Amino acid sequence: MSIKSDDVEEGEKSVQSGKSEERMIPTFCSLCGPSMGCGINCYVKDGRLVRVEGMKESPVNNGKLCLKAFASMQWLYSPQRLKYPLKRVGKKGEGKFERVTWDEALDIIADKLNEQKEKYGPESLAILSPQARTYKPYFIRFLTAHGSPNYCHSGICAIQRAFGFAYTVGVPMLGMAGADYERAELIVIWGANPVYAGAPTGNLKRILDAKARGAKLVAIKPQMQPDAAKADMWLPIKPGTDGALVLAILNVIINEHIYDAEFVSQWCYGFDKLVPHIQKYTPEWAEPITGLPADRIIEFARLYGKAKSACILAGNAFDQTVDSNNAVRAVGILIAITGNLDRPGGNIVPTESTMPMPKPVTLFERYTQDMIDKLVGPEMPRCFQPFIEGASSAYYKCLNSVLTGEPYPVKTIMAPGTQPTVITRDSKRVIEALEKLEFFVVIDVTQNSSMPWADVVIPVATMYETDHPFETSMMGTGNWLMARNKIIEPLGDYKSDYEFWLALGVKMGYGEDFWHGNIEECMNYQLENFGITIDELRSHPTGIVYEPKPIVYEKYAEIFATPSTRLSKAPYLPQGKVAIYNTTFEENGFNPLPEWVEPPESPTNTPELLEKYPLVFFDTHTSEAYNHGWLRNVPYMREIQPEPWIHIHPDTARQRGINDGDWVIVESPHGWIKVKALYFPGIRPDTIMSLHGWWQGCNELGLPGYPLLDGGANVNILYSSDPDKAFDPVVTAMPKQTLVEVRKAGNNG
Amino acid sequence: MSEQYGFYYDASRCIQCHTCEVACKSTRGLEQGVKWRRVIETWGGEYPNVTRTFFSLACMHCGKPACAAVCLTGAIIKRVEDGIVVVDRDKCNGCQDCFAACPYGVPQFGADGTMQKCDFCVETGREPACALSCPSEALNFGTLNELMKMTAGKSAKRMEGTTEPSIITVGSIKVM
Repeated sequence: MSIKSDDVEEGEKSVQSGKSEERMIPTFCSLCGPSMGCGINCYVKDGRLVRVEGMKESPVNNGKLCLKAFASMQWLYSPQRLKYPLKRVGKKGEGKFERVTWDEALDIIADKLNEQKEKYGPESLAILSPQARTYKPYFIRFLTAHGSPNYCHSGICAIQRAFGFAYTVGVPMLGMAGADYERAELIVIWGANPVYAGAPTGNLKRILDAKARGAKLVAIKPQMQPDAAKADMWLPIKPGTDGALVLAILNVIINEHIYDAEFVSQWCYGFDKLVPHIQKYTPEWAEPITGLPADRIIEFARLYGKAKSACILAGNAFDQTVDSNNAVRAVGILIAITGNLDRPGGNIVPTESTMPMPKPVTLFERYTQDMIDKLVGPEMPRCFQPFIEGASSAYYKCLNSVLTGEPYPVKTIMAPGTQPTVITRDSKRVIEALEKLEFFVVIDVTQNSSMPWADVVIPVATMYETDHPFETSMMGTGNWLMARNKIIEPLGDYKSDYEFWLALGVKMGYGEDFWHGNIEECMNYQLENFGITIDELRSHPTGIVYEPKPIVYEKYAEIFATPSTRLSKAPYLPQGKVAIYNTTFEENGFNPLPEWVEPPESPTNTPELLEKYPLVFFDTHTSEAYNHGWLRNVPYMREIQPEPWIHIHPDTARQRGINDGDWVIVESPHGWIKVKALYFPGIRPDTIMSLHGWWQGCNELGLPGYPLLDGGANVNILYSSDPDKAFDPVVTAMPKQTLVEVRKAGNNG
Repeated sequence: MSEQYGFYYDASRCIQCHTCEVACKSTRGLEQGVKWRRVIETWGGEYPNVTRTFFSLACMHCGKPACAAVCLTGAIIKRVEDGIVVVDRDKCNGCQDCFAACPYGVPQFGADGTMQKCDFCVETGREPACALSCPSEALNFGTLNELMKMTAGKSAKRMEGTTEPSIITVGSIKVM
């Protein structure tokens, strides 16, 4: 990309910490999502952030931090920071821009959106989802004020799980937030990674503490990540087959009668229909699909079924598979029928604290059926809309509409903190859509991989360059309210994400809905329930911690009556019981009982591909060093994972003449990437694992960037996007499993 | 010596998150390519019965530091008051004999060619950033006596080695 960078500051500098001149300012981190960031003490010297440490007062992280926070100064001062708004001057994809002012950039966007609203209707605007961040409600508010339902969720994290759990047990966050580790006899980490995701926020320590007092730990995942290395039992499952495993476990538990018959008769609906349905899903049936021996499946089923208390941490593996809705519903059923729902040591529904809830920024009360009918590609079918994040289209389907014109072509896409070129599947098609799209706006703190196609680029402040918003901890890890404090002045002509959406709202003529652009009023509005203003909150530099309420278990009558987020507010569970047999699904044409759906490409689904592509490929969502498609330009991070990689079993590699550290070509039926092979003794020999989000170089370490398409390191080009096979029909989850062959790269690649 | 400082490392709690590594680099402003602390791993067994263990490796401020013993310029000194092994980089001639002598591969050499390594953050006047930040509480800092008390009830022992590393461990550690 060519951007005039005469005022781009020098990159990372060696930090000298003459402690006498340092000034400490507390704030909170927001490098990752989705819950409130960790409390972070920032040390400033001569107007420059020189050092960070964990904030002991924060109940979220209790003085701990992760490596990304420690590297955040290099991110803040990186040469890749966007310092001023840009307007495209070259062709789309060429990456030629010229500088415009903040106000000019807002005018260009507002004029275009008003023109398109007039010409094509407000639904011609779509906004893509970033990783869950607190600025998200602001652009959802903007969409609603504009009249568009098209918030487009990536479908790669959390919401797919939340949907399956909500419509099975009435609790969207079950399996993610509410595990009662302190009292569990057995803890199951299933397709999740508490090490690479939120290590300082307590779950990891709680799991290790539980293990130290004698709790058993089981890890279900294809490779031995560090959490699995601590487990008493590791089940190295084939990627994307978790749903088959749950069904086989249910088969054992039901046929061996190791379920909680009393709970089932009192609180479950349709168990009698599950019993015959589950018979075909035997452990022997699951063995070739999951790659786990039947006796191991039986062993685990008995262990889980017979444990006095057990909790499951269900992770991202359940979001990125065509079997998503089935697999999650089956996990919900498993938790319920074994008596592990909202009981000590099980998966619990966190008890509210004494902390009030802020007034929402979203305008959900304005949703109408008419708006929902206009979704360009509903993430969940319209009958299930809106869901917990509001009305939503699927990210990929939105981009696809630009090419197909079905049901109508979106005309403007705004991408705040998200990179469609590396985050969703089939990057080739995504780039075609970006080429054809009428107007594309990128909003980010640094240059990103989608920027070359942008018409306007909006730079925004990092968490260190703004004094808002306030945040509350939501995930049951604490009860904390804190105002952000500004650490340094912005390094260029930009404002925060929050201010951007307020300012654009005003420019569009929606000032009434956007506090007339006054961020302080916006904060005070949200704080009304707390009875304080943002200024008063600032008098508590490290925030306010509220008393948690004692845990209350077995809140079944309340949980099972939870009103849904649909316009009707009808409860998720029409019978007021766990929906083993799901009448809501049945009424809307979906299978009322969880079934097994194969990935589009797998050894058992497409054996004919095995001769050419004998290995299973998948990618992991998080890594120790990176945040999706970001941070690879940060030297402290890049030193930990310098090159794009695959993990490969040494035997599998040697059979192909591949040495540890060799560059290899990984080819699927859809494309090929070039990455480094790293020997990994703890991975299934029939499976290859990689990491998504590679594109960026790191100048300081002399490491190049990588092409987005064939020959690069972008895993998304390897997967199927077949409209008939690559989408879960209920939650639009897209698979991250395919078949590949690996060969040593030649000297010239 | 009054009190030897050291680290207590609980291998059963280390999850190779690399936080200690980057906390060290960031807090001390280390240059690219230099690591005063790094988390290494050891694989054992055969799939599927594999084991994977981690060790957060930095200078162990040994009771009998081999590095200091071979240092001809007198740049490496074991402090009498707290047993901390420090380097005077102005005196170092960059011969790297210390690297050859250290059984753990600790000494690091950056652009200026002189030896650098963990100094228990004495230069900053604060507790070591690595131990302060460890999210799983695998790495802890204190005097050896304090650390032994911290491990009460666990089968902790001082790490074995000819150089007498000032490390208290639970479980067996493989370093090289």
